[in-house]
Amino acid sequence: MGRTLPSATQAFLQEQEAFTRFRRALRRSDQVALDDLFASARQHLAAASYASHALPFEVFLLAMLLEEHKQVMLLRRLLEEAPH
Amino acid sequence: MPELTGWLLDLYADPQQGGLALWLLGDDGQRHRLQQAFPVKFFAAGPHQSPVDAEAASTGLRRLRQLWLRLRRQPVPLKLSRDARRDLFLPEPIPVLCVEVAQPSDQPELFAQVSREFPDLAFYDADLPLPLRHAAAYGTFPLAYLRVTTDDEHNIQAIEALDSPWELDPPPAPLRILSIEPECDPRHAPPRFLRLHFQAMASGGLRPQTYRLPLELDAAGKPTGGSWARRLLANLAAILRRHDPDVLLTGWGDTWLLPLLLDLSEAHHMPLPLNRDPTCEITRKREFTYFSYGQVIHRGQQVLLSGRWHIDLYNAMLYHDYGLEGVLEMSRVSGAPVQASARLSPGSGISAMQIVTALRGGVLVPWHKQQAEDLKSALDLIHADQGGMVYQPIPGLHREVAEIDFISMYPGIMTRFNISPETVGPERPHAERVPALNLWIDRQEMGLVPRTLEPLLDKRIALKRELLELPSWDPRRRQYKARASAHKWLLVTCFGYLGYKNARFGRIEAHESVTAYGREALLLAKEVAEEMGYEVLHMYVDGLWVCRPGGSSHPSLSLQPGGLWSEAQRAGIPTRLQANPANGAKTAEAGPHWTPQSLGGVSGVQPLLEEISRRTNLPISLEGIYRWVAFLPSRVDERVPVPNRYFGVFQDGSLKMRGIEARRRDTPPFIAETQLAILELLAQAGEAEDLPGCLPQVLQLLRRRLQDLRLHRLPAEALLVSQKLSRELEKYRSPSPAARAAAQLARAGKPLGPGQLVRFIYMRGQPGVHAWDLPEPPNLQGVDVPRYRTLLLRAASSITHQPLGLSEAVLTQWLNAAAAGVPLQLASISTPRSSHC
Repeated sequence: MGRTLPSATQAFLQEQEAFTRFRRALRRSDQVALDDLFASARQHLAAASYASHALPFEVFLLAMLLEEHKQVMLLRRLLEEAPH
Repeated sequence: MPELTGWLLDLYADPQQGGLALWLLGDDGQRHRLQQAFPVKFFAAGPHQSPVDAEAASTGLRRLRQLWLRLRRQPVPLKLSRDARRDLFLPEPIPVLCVEVAQPSDQPELFAQVSREFPDLAFYDADLPLPLRHAAAYGTFPLAYLRVTTDDEHNIQAIEALDSPWELDPPPAPLRILSIEPECDPRHAPPRFLRLHFQAMASGGLRPQTYRLPLELDAAGKPTGGSWARRLLANLAAILRRHDPDVLLTGWGDTWLLPLLLDLSEAHHMPLPLNRDPTCEITRKREFTYFSYGQVIHRGQQVLLSGRWHIDLYNAMLYHDYGLEGVLEMSRVSGAPVQASARLSPGSGISAMQIVTALRGGVLVPWHKQQAEDLKSALDLIHADQGGMVYQPIPGLHREVAEIDFISMYPGIMTRFNISPETVGPERPHAERVPALNLWIDRQEMGLVPRTLEPLLDKRIALKRELLELPSWDPRRRQYKARASAHKWLLVTCFGYLGYKNARFGRIEAHESVTAYGREALLLAKEVAEEMGYEVLHMYVDGLWVCRPGGSSHPSLSLQPGGLWSEAQRAGIPTRLQANPANGAKTAEAGPHWTPQSLGGVSGVQPLLEEISRRTNLPISLEGIYRWVAFLPSRVDERVPVPNRYFGVFQDGSLKMRGIEARRRDTPPFIAETQLAILELLAQAGEAEDLPGCLPQVLQLLRRRLQDLRLHRLPAEALLVSQKLSRELEKYRSPSPAARAAAQLARAGKPLGPGQLVRFIYMRGQPGVHAWDLPEPPNLQGVDVPRYRTLLLRAASSITHQPLGLSEAVLTQWLNAAAAGVPLQLASISTPRSSHC
């Protein structure tokens, strides 16, 4: 729609597309984990777009890491709260 | 000298006597045809070159001199002079040749010749509609209340507008309206008669009247022989003469009715006084198709009248949204003639307003814009080429959520920060930097775009304020709403036009600046909300959804003990809930999440609004507080949230929904109605905790609707799918259902083109569809019941999945089992996921 550059969503889909061969060669269980990672990066498309980084994949990797760290924080909290 | 007061109906170049013809709806109840001398000017300038290039400048002057000589040697009466004028896209005034043509009707032809012979020159003010020139010169606009002094030959000596487009309650014009509609959609079947209804606005002592005129058309819609046509023409002519309407409001008048009447009138040599001005020809414009924002848009042919307006309900842009009141308001504020504003997009309305502002300020209006985008670095482009900020919401059910919206955000930004094509540019003194971009805005002089928008924005805000205060029974409410809606469309498109390279005053850098300020404002708002202890659930261009932490639902709401399942059992729905340790654990863990802090009602949110307004310098208001709202995930991947698919219930019980089937134009009415009915049931639930209690009713409703479908108890109209054709029929590689339906129509002699709607019903077997507008009606026994059933269940699960935890698969399984009377295994039920933690 009159844009010169691909939107963050388009950039994301292109990056994901670029890894289809990689994904194909993974075990089924690993494919599921990889899909989870991409889905978690996708939650931060708005921020990725606002960042307008020249190398969008770096931002997507960071977004994946961010979601992973959120999981770590949650699990840590649950562990600490769990009755000993 | 006679003096008249009244409303401006129409004005156009008088082809016979020269000058302008101007129709005034007089206070005396008469319709006066007046004349006015009105010479029009256009300008020519040398080819666009750098001003420092002396050689190019002298070439330009030489070419202007040649044009001067050429114009001196032709017969059209005109005056020539030299002048210096301002081109908005150039820093200094430029030398121009001013051509003043004595008769406005001579100007288009003369200009066409000149532009062919001097293609290298730049032309200005060359193709402007006469009403806009008149608006700039005299402050007139359609339905302006005027005082006019004339001589005895009806020539206008003086003219003065007594009101302005910005008045909230202008004196209502007593328009006489004749509506003509065929008894059915002529594309669907040949109508057997026309329904006519006459009424006068603001009364005037005239009583409404209705008529019925028979038609005799064959199966293909062609007129049959016989005397009926002569009777029709004679009757219609008598009705037109008796009532002398100001407005002809027709159904399919552009595409079917008026062409049919004109053809009959010609074939039978019986003139029909459709035009109020007998000296003018009726204007017919051909149909066309264009591409806009990823959509093919088809506009039907047009039939335009003089001295009287013809508005076709089905060929008018957005008529369904704001009606005649909105069309008239669009015309009043934009200055564009009523027949044009009814048919054109609001973008042309904004363009008209900018042209009038430019003419009044002595700024040249380019004929073909020559300005190109400034060069910028790749990094600048990456930063600038972005739209509004669109977040991925936190999917799931959330309770007590406030939605707050910036009021007319983009137009507000344009006026507040003075964004206009001529104010945006590279760094310079006294300019303010656009957030995060290498662009600066000059704030010293108000730009053309803000000057155009400010009164419109003020009027919209004043109207909205009035609306809040008017009691619900006040008849002005409906009017105000229609007008506010017209303003909304004008303001929305104004932003698009700022970035449209063919718009006369469009400039991509201005457009980029607006979105940059918009993103900045939204992020500031997010920061304010978070500082004040709110949780931001979602942001969408100009709106935010916030709640107090803990207001979000937990995934296993639907499995709470005593909730959903026991309700279902009480209603006699067979269930057998097996204990699931995983779910049990979640329910236990959910405890703390269900004691949320309250937003504190409308007054509780007030400090947040004030702080955001203070920090962003833009007005923001509370759209409402939801009892609960559900943000839905993508259909394709449940893990992925999508920005604009949600529904919720406000505290007053009203619903808001976006992106679900009921909002889509192609959804069959029966499915949209069922989805809405389910939503209404959920809305009655009150608080989020009560939602599971609705389940038995929802299931009952679904079972009933499925039964109606299976037993063919639904009328055919309820099953209609309406889809747009995206291309020519032969260009479909594997024809979609819509293309197959269009092919059926083409074989029956009713071809459709890209951008046109095709309506059809899904049928069993080949070709799987039955086009609605075929001469033979569909056999309802052949309806593809399973397909509609799937569509219905999909639509139902869109809204049961999040709040009730019922996916499409579970819903299907359950309905099947309930129909067969079999108890269910519900252990494997999937619950809505939430990434929220």
